[in-house]
Amino acid sequence: MLKPKQMSRLLIAASRDQMAPVIAELYRFNLFHIEDYVDAGAEGYEGFKIGSPLSGASEKSADLIKIRAITNAVSLSADNVDAGPSCSMDELQTKIERELPLLEREVEELTVRRSKLDAREKELEQKITEITPFADIPVDLNLYHGYKRFTTIAGYVSREVILTVPCEMHVSKRDGKNFIVVVYPTERRSEVEKILQEAGFQSVPVPNESGSAKGRIEFYTGEIADTKKEILEISTQLEDVKKKHASFLVACEELLKAEVDQTEAPLRFATTKQTFVAEGWVPADQVTVVTNSLIHVTEGKIFVTVVPTDPEHDSVPVEYNNPDFAKPTEVLMDIYSRPGYTEVDPTLMVSIVFPIFFGLILGDVGYGLILLIMSYWLRKFLKDGDGRQLLDVLRNASLSSIFFGIIFSEFLGFAIPGWNPVLYSRHLMSEHGGHGPNIPELMVLSIWIGILHITLGRLLSMYNHAKQDHGHHRTMAVLANFGWLSVMWGIIIVIWSVAAVPLMPDLSGLSAVATAPGTGFGLNPAAVIGGVLVLVGIVFIARESVLEVIELPTIVSHVLSYARLVAVGLSSVAIAMVVNYMSITMFISPALENFSIFGIVMILVGIAVFLLGHTLNIALGILGGGLHSIRLHYVEFFTKFYKGGGRKYIPFGMKRRFTEE
Amino acid sequence: MAAEVVAVDIASVQASQLGMKALGAGIAVGLTGIGTGVAEMGIGSAAVGAVAENKDMFGLALLFTVIPETIVIFGLVVALLLLFV
Repeated sequence: MLKPKQMSRLLIAASRDQMAPVIAELYRFNLFHIEDYVDAGAEGYEGFKIGSPLSGASEKSADLIKIRAITNAVSLSADNVDAGPSCSMDELQTKIERELPLLEREVEELTVRRSKLDAREKELEQKITEITPFADIPVDLNLYHGYKRFTTIAGYVSREVILTVPCEMHVSKRDGKNFIVVVYPTERRSEVEKILQEAGFQSVPVPNESGSAKGRIEFYTGEIADTKKEILEISTQLEDVKKKHASFLVACEELLKAEVDQTEAPLRFATTKQTFVAEGWVPADQVTVVTNSLIHVTEGKIFVTVVPTDPEHDSVPVEYNNPDFAKPTEVLMDIYSRPGYTEVDPTLMVSIVFPIFFGLILGDVGYGLILLIMSYWLRKFLKDGDGRQLLDVLRNASLSSIFFGIIFSEFLGFAIPGWNPVLYSRHLMSEHGGHGPNIPELMVLSIWIGILHITLGRLLSMYNHAKQDHGHHRTMAVLANFGWLSVMWGIIIVIWSVAAVPLMPDLSGLSAVATAPGTGFGLNPAAVIGGVLVLVGIVFIARESVLEVIELPTIVSHVLSYARLVAVGLSSVAIAMVVNYMSITMFISPALENFSIFGIVMILVGIAVFLLGHTLNIALGILGGGLHSIRLHYVEFFTKFYKGGGRKYIPFGMKRRFTEE
Repeated sequence: MAAEVVAVDIASVQASQLGMKALGAGIAVGLTGIGTGVAEMGIGSAAVGAVAENKDMFGLALLFTVIPETIVIFGLVVALLLLFV
């Protein structure tokens, strides 16, 4: 928690004949993050070379490519298939040998036929576009060619043209352009070309066809329809193949991918003629398990040791270490940046605070329920890891939204009947139950949240710097962060000392102890303390870096930025209330009072407005609630302490979904 | 008679003050909205470009894009304070 998993660097050395069992064992564990060996003459690695793949690598890769070609052709993705009953390896192996070539031939035949038909369709369409201009000219297409002494040309001219040469010319107007077909004696070519060029002639190929142009177009249109029908048939056949063999195909792909991964693993190891060395990272608590098991499979003919590491300079891969409920939030962290190995991992804090912010913004029982249902319903379509995680985040957020909906007494913008808001009301119109909105209190509440959130961020920054930095720089960095805190709290205390703010201590009643020089303005002890805190803070900040002083106004803007928790929330309440007002007060209620045929139309319009308005508001609510909450984390919270940039921990192995070990 | 005139005057003054508040709130949200839009315009187009080049930039790009959003939030806060406090 709050820290990535501890990693140990493992060095494995053994003779080459142990390579296959060692790789298989590492793959089975799915824990070993291989550090690729680079042939760069590193110290201690003189004479080593990058390994070569195990036997059978190329055949297996070829098989994998075949499978992927098939899955591509039938557009099948493992992410969209539910993990089915696992088949054992032997079963699959025999099936691959027996069925795969047949299946491959079948799919290939179909795809080749389909691409041929696609090409044919394009060709026919091309022909139609070629013939179309000639449709308006009352001459059969076979009359355009077959002459020895005459030449036929066709094309568009920008203006009407008169040929002085003896010729036969047909003109038609199409889409505001003049289309001409000219048959002229070949020996007068240069004259004709000159005249036409002056008229801005654009040539069009003369189709090599016979019969009337319109007839040909109809014929080709019919052909296209036939081709389309055939393509559709093939597509349904491919779809049948997909339905019938989906589980086999994904299982095959998984099995072969595992095998290819294993046979190609030596490419990442350092080898000599007789031995190989693999380095990589394993979670510290798994080292003994992995080591013992490796010794077991090789009957002791292996050397495994933990190499001492320096977490600051070695780039250690980072794996999250969070309790289950915080795991979905890792996807939000990865969008920003994975935490570094030595810094505090704020995932847990985000997983708690993010839903609270979301609920504060979109606190509505009705919307919360709709989002909750949506987060379960969308699971049908999103089957891969990241999508599922996002849906889990949405689920947590919608639960929080329901909770705050109860607190604010809101259901689709209505007050919950017989239930008054706990603490503060966000109802904009008092007739919707209870008193009007407690804007000042809500606003100050959100500012308090901001102050505490930012204070937490700065404290974490002090901790991070104390842990990561050394010597003089460390003291400076810690003090600078203390300075930021001091300035912020100093400003807050000064504000308290001059004005009474709801929900905050009122220090303005203290008697003055000093007078501000030059203004005659009384300063009470709180103002003096606040002023001193600000000055001390600025000194600490400037000592680390003078340029940072220009960032001072961000203290105010960042704290005030948390007012969005209330502001965005109120805007969504306002939209919901307007929608309810429009649909019910303006359409449905009057219609119900004087019931008539027209009244039914009014009711239908009212219902349409209600549905449309609330759909829009839910969409805005997800965007507003989600984006603003995460932005408060990314911009206001993370910029205080979080660096990120950790390297992702990618263990060698896979989670098997369709096959057994 | 005079008292009535005064009462009417006060009522109309109060009404016009309310209207002014509403106007002020509208202007606050509207102008800050334009400001945010102008600011996000450049950032947004650059961010989309960056994400198209490299998907990993998404988080950072989103962050940069929403930074000016604070301006419109300030406007909204001012509007709410004008209307309700």
